[in-house]
Amino acid sequence: MKSNITGWKHIYSFTLKQVLKSKTYLISYIILVMIVLVSMPIASKLLFANTEDENSPSPIDKVYVNNMTSLTDIEFSDINNITSFKHITFEPMIMDYDTLVEHITDKENASAILDISEENGSYNLHLSMVKEGPIKRSHLQRLGDALLTDFTNTRMEYLGISREQLALLQTPVLSKVTMTDINGAEILEEDTSISSSEYWFVYGILFFVMMTTMLTGTQVATSIASEKSTRVVEYLLITVKPLALMIGKVLAMLTAAMIQMLSMVAALFISNMISASFSYKDKSLLSQLLPSDLFNNINIVNIILCILLVFLGLLFYAVLAGIAGATVSRLEEINEGLTLFTMVSLVGVYIGLGAANTLIGAGTNAFVVFAFLFPLSSPFVLPGAILVGNASLPIVALAIALELVLIILLFRFVAKIYETLILHNGNTIKLKQLFQISKSV
Amino acid sequence: MSLSVKNITKKYGDKLVVDNLSFEMKEPGVYALLGTNGAGKTTSIRIILGMLAKNSGEVLWNGSPIDVVNTNVGYLAEERGLYPKYSLMDQLMYFAKLRNVDKHTALERIKYWSDRLDVNEYVFPPKGKGRKSSKSNQADQLSKGNQQKIQLMVALLSDPELLIIDEPFSGLDPLNTDLFKSIIREEINKNKYLIMSSHQMPTIEEFCSDITILDRGKVKLQGNLAEIKKSYGRVNLLVKCEQDIASYITSFNLQIINKTPSEYHLRVQGENQAMEFLTRLISDNITIIKFELREPSLHEIFVEKVGVDQDEE
Repeated sequence: MKSNITGWKHIYSFTLKQVLKSKTYLISYIILVMIVLVSMPIASKLLFANTEDENSPSPIDKVYVNNMTSLTDIEFSDINNITSFKHITFEPMIMDYDTLVEHITDKENASAILDISEENGSYNLHLSMVKEGPIKRSHLQRLGDALLTDFTNTRMEYLGISREQLALLQTPVLSKVTMTDINGAEILEEDTSISSSEYWFVYGILFFVMMTTMLTGTQVATSIASEKSTRVVEYLLITVKPLALMIGKVLAMLTAAMIQMLSMVAALFISNMISASFSYKDKSLLSQLLPSDLFNNINIVNIILCILLVFLGLLFYAVLAGIAGATVSRLEEINEGLTLFTMVSLVGVYIGLGAANTLIGAGTNAFVVFAFLFPLSSPFVLPGAILVGNASLPIVALAIALELVLIILLFRFVAKIYETLILHNGNTIKLKQLFQISKSV
Repeated sequence: MSLSVKNITKKYGDKLVVDNLSFEMKEPGVYALLGTNGAGKTTSIRIILGMLAKNSGEVLWNGSPIDVVNTNVGYLAEERGLYPKYSLMDQLMYFAKLRNVDKHTALERIKYWSDRLDVNEYVFPPKGKGRKSSKSNQADQLSKGNQQKIQLMVALLSDPELLIIDEPFSGLDPLNTDLFKSIIREEINKNKYLIMSSHQMPTIEEFCSDITILDRGKVKLQGNLAEIKKSYGRVNLLVKCEQDIASYITSFNLQIINKTPSEYHLRVQGENQAMEFLTRLISDNITIIKFELREPSLHEIFVEKVGVDQDEE
């Protein structure tokens, strides 16, 4: 075994050095990191461009109220208890509409008009503003939301319901369904479902791992097919065994991909921190979009477990791609050779996606556990599940062990067939032929 | 040191590509593996190099099974095998490292062979203004001949004990062919073991003492080249005269192998018949410009051995 892998370090260091030096890698690396770096500040700017601090004073100074309902004595005094609206005054509209609009346009462009109407048993609150002025639609929207609450309270008081009664009515009603055993004792059942935020977090990680897997796989296959088509492999094989060649190449490509991936994760964190400068709350984009308890499970142990799982997954798929690269003789045939790799990785991705969807609906069940443990899908779905606290340590340990067993089996298979594959010239070798080769060696 | 190839057989499915090949090199020198395209030469070489698994037989180097990792072997394949976009220096250092040649020695040898093969400008390209180096240090920028030189450098970097060269003069101009020949002679003089495969029969005759001719995986002829030739006898007669000698050829019942406007290539039964033929020409006052009785060339032996079998099928 030792002589079978002797020299893999030389292959590894040379391949890695050449990949890191290559223009394609450098350019794609710089572009990807730059995109990630600017993505969060731009997203923050776009998402919260019109959002203002809820405590900052509204630009609306005065509201002319045009009450066309049967309700009298409508007061919006509670509005003034809200910090951003405390300066707003409410006046009944005494001028006709056109004159008032002209007046506001010329002299009071920080004023708005509130029409309250009644039609078919429902009330309408309609706020309007003039075009030229400091008031924006979002300001009216916020005021409208506040007025609606105030107006509802006014209506209740008009019906004779006191403030205390109203508060009682607005008390939330909580419901709970439990199961009991024959003795009447409650059977506690843990809710293992995930929230939509957690789902998108798991989905994001799955998508990221999938992209890295596809990218790495294609690079490994192309690199091996390229060595075959340029005949370099013949010169390499007089100094190292095929297995050493495969190990060195796959690990080098994986290292390059991991460098790219970890740099992107680091860039994502930096980008997220920068995004705080572009937010009105001085909060980063992720902390605004994702619930704070989502990050409770992100600790060093879980991060290491995730990286290990992703690395093993990438290793498995990269070896599979290595076989694909060795089954073809010309670079033009690489897509044909990658069919099996693509199909297997898609099976893993779809099972992972299915598990994520099951988690949001039904929580952890037999299918989810299967997806966590199945070596094709575990690298895609389990890292996300670990980080949202939905995977127990024994499950993770078992998944890692199964992934390792699969990789060892794959390497044993590769050791049998790779020698024949790497020197093969001719039509692309199919899966059935691969098994025939492994039996004949 | 010795190389011993014993009964190696290789099958791809039901197809037998090398059938029971055996030969031995007890002393340094050049051994020739000959054959038509698809005869099994490259497969045999790959098995000897340990690249390819065999179905049976063994290859021994100094009495032990050959091991690619521990045996210092140099290989020049028929087709070039260089990374098209990587720098030549990086590639040469890489191949040296794979052969466990330390960095200092590798650099010295690269310098020596670059000078010797006149490829300094590609291996050590001048650095341009504001640029790290010119593009000419990449393999895809080199001519076929220069790529072949770099490939020979790769084969020689580890100062191999066993050197296997497949079509070494392919793509070379006459000057570079002579350069390669001189390097091969140097390696022979350094008591190296060489296995050469080539379709250029005069080259094989120039360097090789022992040969094996393969045809569709089977050994058709094997042994010492001089002895093989001797066994055929001197039956090739080249005659050039001022007058037409067609009637003499007919009367002596000689076989015409080839005829040019000025010269006949004839097959005689032996030296006595050739002498009788010469005596007759002289007695009839035929002006003889050339009369050469020689053994068959390797080319003729090859064509006879391989051609006859193919005709039979």
